[in-house]
Amino acid sequence: MNPKVMIWISVALSAIAQIFLKNGLTKVQSRNGGGRSVTRLAHGIVSEKFIWLWGLCFVAAMGLWLSGLQKLDLSYAYPLVSVGYVLVTILSLVFFQERVDRRRWLAVAVISLGVTLIAGS
Amino acid sequence: MIVEAASATACEPSDEREVTARTLPQILGKWWVAFAASALFVVCGHLLIKAGLNGLAPLPADIGFAARVLHPVFDLQVVMGLCIYLMGTVCWMRAVSQKEISFLYPLSSINFVLIAAASMVLLQEVISIRRIGGIALVVLGMFLMNKKAGSGGA
Repeated sequence: MNPKVMIWISVALSAIAQIFLKNGLTKVQSRNGGGRSVTRLAHGIVSEKFIWLWGLCFVAAMGLWLSGLQKLDLSYAYPLVSVGYVLVTILSLVFFQERVDRRRWLAVAVISLGVTLIAGS
Repeated sequence: MIVEAASATACEPSDEREVTARTLPQILGKWWVAFAASALFVVCGHLLIKAGLNGLAPLPADIGFAARVLHPVFDLQVVMGLCIYLMGTVCWMRAVSQKEISFLYPLSSINFVLIAAASMVLLQEVISIRRIGGIALVVLGMFLMNKKAGSGGA
């Protein structure tokens, strides 16, 4: 597989993983009710399926990332992570019904332009 | 009576300790400490990972995809870098549980600047003007997001 393709898939998986993580931690926290017990918190985290989904995406993204990074500059590959911000904005809109205003869309456009420049560098 | 006295003396030092010395969860309980620690670990971890990857022996062309993906995981520097990076992820999780992602994400753009600078200085990567411009736009875009999230409406 082309190292650049590996990096792009890895970045997309990471963004999806962030959504799973946020969802999972929010669920654990609300179920825990602000308790201070570490074992209860650990149990809550381990038994939350969204945390496991996050772990799965995280491991797959990491494997692809390492293989891709082997052939590419770190200063080339790492900034491409910012595509994640564009994806997270869109996914937050879809799954958490977060409001996305004009300034946020402008920010998404500026980041996308930046990523396009980096991808061609 | 004896049990009561013993429990009283046992409790006293631990109460005192809570006032004077802070535990790690308490330190990471401040979102900006957790965030700063995550930035430090993520940047250092990635530099070590890339340094390890640069030192890997090239694989023969006919080797399978799975072996190619697993190959880096057996390098000590890569594994150490991954561990440091994972520590960064744990700190990031602590920060995320205290502040919104939309607030923390833009701040983490400092990672891009630090990694680009360190790749140039330590890994001798050649960074074009175009790449610098791209990174600058990414940082600008992320602060545009942050301003909105910080002011809470304009």
